[in-house]
Order: sequence, then C-alpha cells, then structure tokens
Amino acid sequence: MAEQTEKPILRIEDLAVTFWSDQGRVRAVNGVNMTLYPRQTLAVVGESGCGKSVTALSTLQLVPTPPGRYETGRIVFDDQDLLNHSDRQMQAIRGNQIAMIFQEPMTSLNPVYSIGEQILEAILLHQKVSRSEAIDIAESALNDVGIGEARRRLSEYPHQMSGGMRQRVMIAMALACRPRLLLADEPTTALDVTIQAQILELLRELQEKRGMSIMLITHDLGVVAENADVVAVMYAGRIVEYGTVDAVFDHPLHPYTRGLFESMPRLGQDKHRLQVIDGQVPNPADLPSGCPFHPRCRDMNDDAKCGTDDPPLLEIQPQHWSACWHAAGYEGAKPTRPDIAYRRAMAT
Amino acid sequence: MTDSHADPNTSGQDEAALTSRPRTYLQMVAQRTLSRPGAQVGLMWITLLVIMAVLAPFIANSHPLIFKRVGGDVEFPLFRFLRPIDVLLLIAAGAGVVLWYVPKRIRLPRAMVFIAIVIVAAPMCFWLINPPRKEVLHTYRNAIRDNDVMWIVHTPIAFSPHDRQRDTRGMRNHEPSITYWREGCHLFGTDTNSADVASNMVHGTRIAVSIGFIATGIALVIGVLIGSIMGFFVGWADLMGMRFVEVFAAIPSLLLLLTIAAVIPPEWNAYRLYAMMVAIGVTGWVGYARFTRAEFLKLRNQDFVLAARALGLPLRSILLKHMLPNGVAPVLVEASFGVAGAIISESVLSFLGIGLIDDPSWGKMLSETISGTGGFKWWMAIFPGNAIFLTVFAYILIGESLRDAIDPYVNRN
Repeated sequence: MAEQTEKPILRIEDLAVTFWSDQGRVRAVNGVNMTLYPRQTLAVVGESGCGKSVTALSTLQLVPTPPGRYETGRIVFDDQDLLNHSDRQMQAIRGNQIAMIFQEPMTSLNPVYSIGEQILEAILLHQKVSRSEAIDIAESALNDVGIGEARRRLSEYPHQMSGGMRQRVMIAMALACRPRLLLADEPTTALDVTIQAQILELLRELQEKRGMSIMLITHDLGVVAENADVVAVMYAGRIVEYGTVDAVFDHPLHPYTRGLFESMPRLGQDKHRLQVIDGQVPNPADLPSGCPFHPRCRDMNDDAKCGTDDPPLLEIQPQHWSACWHAAGYEGAKPTRPDIAYRRAMAT
Repeated sequence: MTDSHADPNTSGQDEAALTSRPRTYLQMVAQRTLSRPGAQVGLMWITLLVIMAVLAPFIANSHPLIFKRVGGDVEFPLFRFLRPIDVLLLIAAGAGVVLWYVPKRIRLPRAMVFIAIVIVAAPMCFWLINPPRKEVLHTYRNAIRDNDVMWIVHTPIAFSPHDRQRDTRGMRNHEPSITYWREGCHLFGTDTNSADVASNMVHGTRIAVSIGFIATGIALVIGVLIGSIMGFFVGWADLMGMRFVEVFAAIPSLLLLLTIAAVIPPEWNAYRLYAMMVAIGVTGWVGYARFTRAEFLKLRNQDFVLAARALGLPLRSILLKHMLPNGVAPVLVEASFGVAGAIISESVLSFLGIGLIDDPSWGKMLSETISGTGGFKWWMAIFPGNAIFLTVFAYILIGESLRDAIDPYVNRN
C-alpha cells in the first residue's frame, strides 16, 4: 500500500449533474466518485445513457448549461475544484492540462480548415512558441500517432483522410499540448477492429512515454480487459462497481457487471444464444424506487430492500467496491471513496 | 492562405496535385457556382459594371483628355478636374488587381493589405487632391466654335453627367442621335435638364454597384451578428433575439425606408447616399439573422464545435473561425438576392423622388420619363430601365447558381 500515499491527478467527488427536459429535471449523473492517478487508465463502462460521457464532459465543464446543471460535487484537479472555475479559467485547462477525444472521428474535425491549421491553433493558443516551432510540434505530434509524411499531411483537409486517420489526427491534436490527463470518450467505437487495436496500442505507448493518465470511456469489455488498470461500472448515473481490472473481471460483485460479462461472446464458447440482461435501461426521468437495477436483476428477492432502498457504494473487499444489497459481505462494509492507485505491469 | 505550410521539400508534382483539386467546402462551392453558365453571364455583367464604375470619368467627361489651344500649351483638363473619390477608386481597383495576381505561394493577408491600402489612401486623396472649384464645362465647346483649338482628344462620351449644355440651344429632351461630331452626339438622348443620358448612366453605375454591396454588407453584418448570437447561446438570447427579429419583420420595409429617406434633413444632402445605404441595410437584415441562427443551431451540436471547445479555444475563435465559415453558404445565397433587392430599393426611392438629389442614379432617370416637360420620353425609360433589369437579373442568376451549388440534391453524383 505504499502507492496509496501518491497524489491522485483527478478526484471526482459526489458529482451530480441534472438536465432539464420535458419530463422535468433528469439526473444524468448521481453521486459519482472516482479517483485517477498519474499514468493510470481508468475505464468507465456501462450502457448508453448511463452517464459516462456526462461525467467526462463535466470534468471540462463542457456539459451544455442550460439544459444541464451541476448540482453537487467537486472535481479536484491540482487541488483546485474545476467546477468552481470560470469559463476563462477553464479555457486555460482545456486542451492544455486536460484534453478530450471524441467518439466520432468523421465529424470531430472542422471541414473548412486543413488539419495543420487546426492543430496549430491549439498549439499556438496554449504554448508560447513561434509559428514555425508550432509547425514542428504539430509534425512530431502527427509522427507520434503514426502518420507518415507528416509535413505534407498538415496541409490536407479532413475529407481527404479516412476515419482511422482522422481519429489519429484528433489524438495528435489532443496530445500536441502534452496534457496530463486524456479523456477518451469511446475513441475506437467508430473504427474497424484493426484500426481500433492500433489506436489503443498507440494510446498505451504514449501513456507510458509521457506518464499521462487516461479516462477511457467505453462499452467494449474487451477493450477494458486489454487496457484498463481500474474499472468503474456505471448504471443509471451511478457507479455500481469499482475495482482493479483483475478483481472486477475475476470476481464481479454486482449482478449488472455479471450480466455484462454473460452477454459478451467468448472465443471457444459453444452457445446458441448469448445471455442477455432482461428489460431496458430505465428512463432517467422515472427511475425505479430502491436500487435502480432491481427490476432487471436476477438476484433480487422480494423480501430484500432492493425495491425500497438504494444501496450505497461500499468497499466490500479491499480495493473492490460494489453497490448491491446481495453482495457477499455487503453488511458491515465501509462507505469509503473509491480510490485505487493500482497499475498493471507493462507487458513488453 | 490555406496551403500555408506546404513543405518546400515536397516535389512540385505533389504540390500541383494537391492544389489543383478543390480543397475546402467554400472553394468547392465557388468552383461549382462558377461552372454554371448563369453565374458566368451574371458575373461578366457585374464585372463590366464595376469596371465602368471605376473608370466612369474616363468614359464620360466633358473635360477632354488632351486639349491644346491655338498657340497655347498642351493641357490635360480631365486629370486636373479628377475628384478625390475618382482617384481613390482607381487606387483601390489597382491594388485589388495587383493583389489578385500576386502568386499564391506568397503568403499575404490579402484582404488586410487591401483594406490597409484603402485606409491609407483615402485621407491622402482627400487631402492632396483639390480640383478647381469652378468648372466651366462648355469652355471646350466654345473654343471649338471659335476655331481656337489646335487639337482635342475626348473621352468616348464627351459629356459630364452635370453638363447641362447651356451653351447649346434645343438640347433639352433630345432623342438619341448619332453624329460624327462627338460634341453633339447623344447616344441615349438627353434629359429634361439637357444632360446626356448615356453619361448619367455610366456615372450611375457607381451608385448601383456601391448601394448594392454596401447596403447588403451592412445588413449582412447586423444579421449574421444577431443570428449567430441567437444560434450559439440559445436560451434567453435566442428568445429575445427572435422577438426583436419579429418586430423588424413586421415593419413594412418600404414604408420604413420612405420614412427614413423623407426625414433626412436637407443639410445632410451630401451624405444622402450613405444614409440610404444604412437605411436599406438596417431594414434588410432580418432574413440573414434567421438563416444564420438556423445554421448555428445546427452547427453548435456538431462534434467539431464541441472538440474546439474541449481544446480550450476562445469563444471568438469558435464563433468566427469554426462556426461561421461552415454556416455562411446559405447566407451568401440570400445576400446575392439581397444585393438585387437593395438596387431595386434605391431605384424605387429615387423614382419616388426622395432618393438622391445631385448624384446620377438610374432610378432617378427612370422617374424623369414622365415627369418634367416634354411628355413621355421613351429613351429615358428603356435605357436606365434595362440597366436596372439586367443588373438585378445578373445578381439573381448568381444567387440561383450559388443555391444550386450548395444544394446536396442537385449535386448528387
């Protein structure tokens, strides 16, 4: 536990974000806690609409307000609460300290400007360098993400590039200012499998080289198993399970996590149908009472508190948190903040 | 420019391959627009008008280019009587042509250089150029009559727009006539004041071109500004902005224009043209605001705008650099129709007699068709009327081509 004395780079505490909709205030994120250490990859897993992206966007204060609103919580980065920052203060952090890459490489670049123009704008904004120095930085950033003939590529336009190339350009742009934290919102979802592998490989490499932290948002458990150090499973705007990648994958404590694993096809498995989680993701405007997962839960007992009380996230085993009344050892567990400094050994 | 950091080491062939194809969306739109015959014809007509507007004093002027009395020195009266505005237009046009032909590989903020030249040249022109106050336009005709001229070289049309020919009898409401003698030749006839119609039409292109561009420019700036604020900030800004737009949309713009034109005090008559440009501009921005708002509402949810925000770019850059160029094409279509509308508005005001007082204007000439003495003057209906029609038609042709160029259904291939 010597690592635990290390200082985290990002700490999200009790974050709650609501959106105003036709059906009234909707809680998109409800009391989320997570901690991210330097050179660590935290994977945030969950179905669409569970609040993964909103959590990442909140970190940069990019949730559109209105209709969104930050209700409670703190996002501590460098001992400063980012949620208290003004827009001007945030501008200095966005792209410079914390960068974000988005899901859609096809539409995340401005079609009107050459990619060089777009990378340069970010570099010149955040770093005190001359234009020619900035061109060198941009060129090396493109080289880093494996784009050959970088000088010539700088004057190309997004429409002249394939999806994989554009995603690399997005990553190069995000990394050109050497951020300490990268928020990767499903960075590989829109790509085909070979390019997906290349991009993830690239992210791992850059992380190792620069000591950067990554918050990896995904719903692909294969990607998580390959890349993550720590996993946070989200459901209906809250974290239902939190632990090291080995703990979560080997001994999932929450029935939702188990359901996710069962619904994943596995190589060498002889099955006609995949197991599915029955039912639908609940409408966030109309969450069920008690545990939000209980209507779909196979472990639910009628006599239990599932339908009436919402289970808090408790540290059931050391370094392994879960929010389920039925998890073994849930009674008497401590409600600590999820905080794991674990990093897997680099496979070389 | 866009190919700013092309590697000097890349082979010329690569460079050519890259620069030859259309690069950005706007370049693509421009290329598609220019490939349409309608736009080509329209642009040719507008170009002709612009050339005429710039060179008007060299096309129609009572002062001859070269003039020599018997036993006198060689004089260049035309140059001596050139007004500051004439010189400024020549400088601006010259700068524009030169900048246009500067090779693409020389990196220059062309628009900025052009504006700088104009800004420097304008006070210089008005300060340094002082043509004689007193202009006696029939000096040269009298000299010819008195056989006092060694030789004289006239501009193609030998009359200034203000040349009322008080020295020549019977020139009022003269029908078009072609004479060998340049000083008696009125291609398009004369008006009630005995001024040459052709000369007035040549000088009238200045008004027609400038009022179209500047009035539409003012409307564009107001409309795009308000529209982009509404579209980007939504919420309260949008709500208030749209009510403001609705208020303006509910005002009949012609009536507002008539009112504004009618209350311009006589002391301001020298600035009447500018007042009219502003008036037409501030009544015509509603459409642009709506278009821009719609585009920005669409664009603000685009991923690249979110990505630009995530990079920490300032609001100014996001609005002007990342959103505006992506949403400006439909507004430009509207603007080309707007230019045509502004020309019509000016003609209407001038026709109704509350437009320009002293300057030659096509609309004012049209109104003289039936007013004044001499009954119906067909030549004053046909020539300025056709000029207005052709100019408006040219802008509409360009607008149509532009609209087709950005229409994805027309360009499916």
